[in-house]
Amino acid sequence: MKVVCTLRVNGEPHEIAIPPHWTLLEALRYELGLTGSKQGCDKGDCGACTVIVDGRPELSCLTLALGAEGRDVRTVEGLATPQGLHPLQDCFDLNGAAQCGFCTPGILMSAAALLEHNPSPTREEIKQALAGNLCRCTGYTKILDAVEQAAARLREARP
Amino acid sequence: MSKKLNEMPVSNPNKGRTFKVVGRQPRKPEGLKKVSGEALYTDDIVLPRMLHAKILRSIHAHARIRKIDASKALALPGVHAVVTGNDMPIAYGIIPWTQDEYPLCTDKTRFVGDGVAAVAAVDEDTANRALELIEVEYEVLPAVLSPEQAREHPEIKVNEKAKDGNLSKHVFLEFGDMEGGFARADVVDEDHFYFENTTHAPIEPHCAIGQYDRNGVLTVWSSTQVPHYLHRELARVLNLPQNRVRVIQPLVGGAFGGKSEPFDLEFCVAKLAMITGRPVKILYTREEVFYSHRGRHPMEMTYRTGATKDGKLTAIDAKITFDGGAYSSFGLVTAYYSGQLLTAPYQMPAYRFDSSRWFTNKPACGPKRGHGSVQPRFAFEVQLDKIAHRLNLDPIELRRRNFIGEYTETINGLRITSNGFLECLDAVEKASGWKERRGKLPFGKGLGVAGSMYISGTNYPIYPNEMPQSAVLVRLDRSGRAVIFCGASEIGQGVNAMLANILCEELGTALADVQVVSSDTDLTPIDLGAYSSRVTFMCGNACIDAARKLRKQILEACAEKLQTSPEDLDILPGEVVCLKDTAKRLSTPEAFQLAEAKSGSLAATGSFKTNPLGGDYRGGTIGASPAYSFTAHVAEVTVDPGAGFVTVDRIWIAHDCGKAINPILVEGQMEGSAYMGCAEAIMEAQTYNSKGMHIGPSLLDYRIPTSLDTPEMQSLIIESIDPEGPYGAKEAGEGPLHPSIPAVANAIFDAVGVRLTRLPFTPAVVLKALREKEERERRAAPAAAGGQ
Amino acid sequence: MLRLPRFQYHAPRSLTGALELASRHANEFMYIAGGTDLLPNMKHLLFEPPHLISLRGLRELDFIEVQGGGGIRIGALTTLTRIAESDLARRELPSLAQAAGLVAGPQIRNMGTLGGNVCLDTRCVYYNQTLFWRKALGYCLKKDGSQCHVVQSGKRCVAAHSADTVPALITLGAAVELQSPRGAREIRLEDFFSGDGVKNTVREADEIITAVRIPPQPRGRRANYTKVRIRNSIDFPILSIALAVDFREDGRTCDNVELVMTALGSKPRRIGNLHGVVEGRALTAEVIQAVAHQAHRQAHPLTNINVDPEWRREVAPVYVRRALERAVRAG
Repeated sequence: MKVVCTLRVNGEPHEIAIPPHWTLLEALRYELGLTGSKQGCDKGDCGACTVIVDGRPELSCLTLALGAEGRDVRTVEGLATPQGLHPLQDCFDLNGAAQCGFCTPGILMSAAALLEHNPSPTREEIKQALAGNLCRCTGYTKILDAVEQAAARLREARP
Repeated sequence: MSKKLNEMPVSNPNKGRTFKVVGRQPRKPEGLKKVSGEALYTDDIVLPRMLHAKILRSIHAHARIRKIDASKALALPGVHAVVTGNDMPIAYGIIPWTQDEYPLCTDKTRFVGDGVAAVAAVDEDTANRALELIEVEYEVLPAVLSPEQAREHPEIKVNEKAKDGNLSKHVFLEFGDMEGGFARADVVDEDHFYFENTTHAPIEPHCAIGQYDRNGVLTVWSSTQVPHYLHRELARVLNLPQNRVRVIQPLVGGAFGGKSEPFDLEFCVAKLAMITGRPVKILYTREEVFYSHRGRHPMEMTYRTGATKDGKLTAIDAKITFDGGAYSSFGLVTAYYSGQLLTAPYQMPAYRFDSSRWFTNKPACGPKRGHGSVQPRFAFEVQLDKIAHRLNLDPIELRRRNFIGEYTETINGLRITSNGFLECLDAVEKASGWKERRGKLPFGKGLGVAGSMYISGTNYPIYPNEMPQSAVLVRLDRSGRAVIFCGASEIGQGVNAMLANILCEELGTALADVQVVSSDTDLTPIDLGAYSSRVTFMCGNACIDAARKLRKQILEACAEKLQTSPEDLDILPGEVVCLKDTAKRLSTPEAFQLAEAKSGSLAATGSFKTNPLGGDYRGGTIGASPAYSFTAHVAEVTVDPGAGFVTVDRIWIAHDCGKAINPILVEGQMEGSAYMGCAEAIMEAQTYNSKGMHIGPSLLDYRIPTSLDTPEMQSLIIESIDPEGPYGAKEAGEGPLHPSIPAVANAIFDAVGVRLTRLPFTPAVVLKALREKEERERRAAPAAAGGQ
Repeated sequence: MLRLPRFQYHAPRSLTGALELASRHANEFMYIAGGTDLLPNMKHLLFEPPHLISLRGLRELDFIEVQGGGGIRIGALTTLTRIAESDLARRELPSLAQAAGLVAGPQIRNMGTLGGNVCLDTRCVYYNQTLFWRKALGYCLKKDGSQCHVVQSGKRCVAAHSADTVPALITLGAAVELQSPRGAREIRLEDFFSGDGVKNTVREADEIITAVRIPPQPRGRRANYTKVRIRNSIDFPILSIALAVDFREDGRTCDNVELVMTALGSKPRRIGNLHGVVEGRALTAEVIQAVAHQAHRQAHPLTNINVDPEWRREVAPVYVRRALERAVRAG
C-alpha cells in the first residue's frame, strides 16, 4: 500500500505517494524524476547515490524515503542556481574530473558538503571527505584537483 | 590495387603541425551534462507502460535442466510473460567462430549465476516474487573449477563447443632460432608467475530496455560498448532482419571491457518486449554484474628468458595456462594476445609462446582493459628486473639496451611505426629522481620500473568484411552549429571530445556549437565499438576525413567571396582569415552560408579502414594494429615489514600517445589506467569457493580502491607523432595500465628484497615472503660464518 | 536494484511513542535508527519484519553530556560523525572518537548512530549475501540453515562481531542503558554480548538502547584504537584493537592495561592475564612483547572474514605492540 509523504528536495516540497519500502533513492529517481543520483551497488558500498541531508552527505540507497520526511534533501540537480553552475561543477568539467560521469553526482555532493563545512581543505582532507565515493575511471587525481580549484574559487568569491 | 602486408608509411604528414584547438581545449561536449546530473544513462530512461524484468539464475555450478515449470509465476497478478532458453535457441557469441552462449540456458547451466528464465512484470518486486515461483528441476553435474581439473577431467564437459575435452583454445607460435638464442645466452632465468582473476567493476550496473513497435522494429537501449555487434547478434538470435533492429547506447557509466559483448539482459528485454508489446527494462543488481564478469583471465605463466651478459635478450619462452570460465567470450583473441603483444618495445631475437585457455564452471573471463596482455607483461617485466639485478645493470638501462626502435617490425610480424618508448623511460627516470634515489631509500621504501606497449585498435573487424571500421557524418547548419553523427561509444573515455576537437580544429566551430550524436544505429554511421583502444585512431581519422571534405567546400566558397585562392585562407576559431591580407575575414556562420549557397546543404561523411597488416602466418593478423602506444612507469612504494601492507605512494606515468588531442583527457586515461593496475597489484581478487560460487559479489567484498588507497600520480605525456594517426594520435586508454603492476612488484623488491610473483600482493602474501626471506638469511648466515 | 522487502513504517516522535508501538506490534517489528546495517541486511532478506519503528524522531536521544562526577553519557541516536568530531569525546575519550571516525565511510558515519553500532549484527562471508547466493550455498547456521561453513562441525554460529566503537567502549568500562515497555535497565557493555553469532547481544527485541554511559576515566589513562582493514575506508575491521593503559603519576609506571580485540568471533575478546605482566612496570620492549604475546595466544581469527586468518593472527601482536608504543609516546 502506498502512503503519501512530503519530501523537501532542493528547497521545494514534493507530495508523493510511495510504498513504505522504497528508499529515498528510488523516490528521487523514479517518482520525482531526479535521476542525477545514481544507483551503483544496491546497498551502501559505492556512494553513487550520495545526497546532502540536513547539511551532511548521506546515502540515499540506505535511507527510507519516509525516513527523509521533514528533512532537507539536496541532490546534484540543486547544486546549480539560475545564475550558473556551482564552482565545483565547472571545475569538474574543466579538470576532466568526470569521465563516465556516473559517480560524479555523488562525489559532487560529498565535495559540496565538505566545502560548506571547511572552505580550505587540505588535499588529505579532501581525500578523507570523498573516501565513501568510489570512482572507477579517474584514479581520483583529477577529482582532487577539481575540488582544490573549486575551493580556491569559492574563497576568492567570498573573501 | 592490393597493398602488400606491413607497408611502411613513406612520410609523416603529421610532423611539425601546429594546432589552434587540438591540445588546448580541456572541456568535452557532454561535460556539463555530466556535472549537472542531466546526463542520461540507460536506467534513467523511463518509457510509458514499461515493464520490469528479472532473470532467474542457476544455483548450481554445473547442472542439467530437466524441467522448468513457470505456471505459478505466470499466474501471479502483475506478471506479463516468462521466457526460458527454449524461447531463444540460437547461440550467440562475440567471436563468430566460437558462438557458444544462449540468452538463457537451453540444456544445462554452466556456472552459479547462469541465466535460466526471465520474467516481465509490472514492477521489480513482482518480477522478483515471480522468480521464486518458477520451479526448475536440475540434475546436478560434477563441476570443473580450475584449469587443472579441466585438463584432468575431459569427461566432465563444461562447454560442448570445445573440440578437445575442456580446452577452449590453444595457440603455439614460435619465431626465430630458440635453441640458438638460449645457447648464446650468458644468463637464463626461469620463473613462474600467477595473475589473479579481477573484474572491471564499472560503477554503472548493466541495464537494457527493449521496445517492439507496430512497424515490427525492435529498439534496444543498452549500456553496451559495442552497439554495432549487439545489433547484429540481436537480429540473428531473435530471428529478425537486421533492418528491423535499432540499438541505442545512452551514456555508459564505465565499461573497461566489461560491456563489450552482448549479455543475457539485452536478449531478454528484446524477447519480452516482443511478447508483451510493452517496453521492458532490466537493470542488473551488482551481484549480477559480477556474474556477467568477462574480466581478467587468471593465468599461470612460466617464462624462460635468456640474455647476454650485457643485458641483451636472446630468447624468450613462455608457457601460459588460463582459466576461461564457462564460455568463450573473446577467448580466442585472448589466447593470441597473451603471446602476440609481448614482442615490443624490446627486440626479441627468438620468441615462443604456448597458451591454453580452459573452460571451467565459473563466470566467463574476457577482455578487461589491456586485454590478454596485462598478465604476460607483469610476468615478463618482473623477469627483466630480475635479470637486470643478476647482471648488476640498472633496470632502466637494461630496457634501453633492448629497445626495438621505430619504423621496424617485431619478430612476430607486427609493424611498428612511431615509438616514443625511450622518451618514456627518460621521462620517468628524471621525474622520479631514479638516478639519485634508487637503491638509496631506507629499508621498506623502494622504486620500480616497467615498460609496455599496446595496440591502437585491432587491425581487423571481428567479422570479416570490406566495409569501413569507422565512419562519421558531419552536418553543418547555416547558423554555425555543427552536428557530428558517429557510432562510437562514449563510455567515459572521451570519444565525443576527441571528435569535437577535430571538428573545431578543421572548421573553426566553437565547442559549444558542436553536438555529438553517438551510438544510435538508426542515426549514426557504424563504428565497430569501444574496444581494443581503437576509437581515437579509427574514428578520429574518419572524422578528419569528413571534416576536410567540408573544409574544402568552405574554403573554396570563401575564396570566391574574398577573391583569393583557397590556399591563402586559413580557418581559425570562429572565422576564416586570408593569410595574405588579414583584414579579409569571414565569421564561421558566414563561411558556412557561403559554402551552402555554393554547393548545397552541408554534410559530409568520412570513413576509415586499415591497410593489411600483420604476420604472414595463421594467427598473424591477431595483434596487428595500425599503431602501437608505449608506456613506462616508475612506482614508489612503502612496505610495512611488520604487517606486510604495501602502500603505493606514487606512480610516474610516461605514455607515448602519439599526439594528445585533449591532454586533460589523455592524462585522465593514464591515471585511470595506472590506478586500475595498481589496484590489481595490491588488492583486487575475484575468487570462488569450492561450490564454484563467487566469494563476495558486491562492492564491499570485491574491494576497489577508495581515494585513500590510490597513489599520487604524475602523468608525463610523450608525443611521438604517429604518421597515420589523427594528427599523430594513438591510444591512451589501455596501454598505461600494463606497467603499473610489474613496476609495483619491482618496487617492492627494491624496498624489502622480496620477489613477488603471485598477484595480488596482499599483506598476507607480502608478510609470508618476508618471513621466508628472513628464514633463508637466518639459515645462510651460520653456514657462511662456519666457512667450510 | 536489490529491493527491500515490504513493511509498514512508523515514525514515533518520542521514546514513549516508540515503546507503545513496540507493544502494539510485539514480535513483528524491528527498530531502525541510522539504517546503515539493517537496510543492507533487509535487502539481503536476512530480516523481513512486518513493521519498522524508526527511532530517528527521538531527538531526546541525541546528546553528548558530562555527568556529575565526570562520567560522560552519549545518547544512542548520536551519530558516529558527531562523536568523532566532538571536542569533548576527542579530549576525554580519544579511543572512542577514533573508533567512531573509522567506521565505514563518511556518509555512513553521518547516518549511523552509536546505538546502532553497538547493536551491529554479526557478520560472516556466508551470511551477508543475497537470498540467491545463500540458496546456492545451502544456507548457514545463522539464517535458514543447519550447517556452519566456517567451523565445519560447529553447532554455534561464529559470525564476527565487527562494531568499531564497542571494543573501545569496553576498555573504557562503558555500560548501556536500555528501555523497554517493561522498564529500564543498565548493563555493562562487556556483559551485553554473548558468544552466539545468531543473536550476540542480550538485548530483548523490544528494548531500545537509549544511552551509553562511560564512567569517569582514571587520571593517567591513555587510550587508543587501531582498526586493521584492507582499504582505508568503507571496510569493516578485519582486526581491531582497543587499548587503555593506566599510568601512574610518573607517566612511566604502568598500573593496568585494558585490551579488547574484535573481528574475531561473535563477541569482542578481552585479552586477559595482563595485570600480572604490566602492574608496577614500565612499558619496556620486553613488557610490550609479553602483552603482545598474550594477544597472539588469545586471539583466534576465523574464516568468517575473507582475509587470511593465519595472517590476521600473526599480525595481531604486531598491532598490539604498535598500540602500546603509541600509548607510551602519547605521554
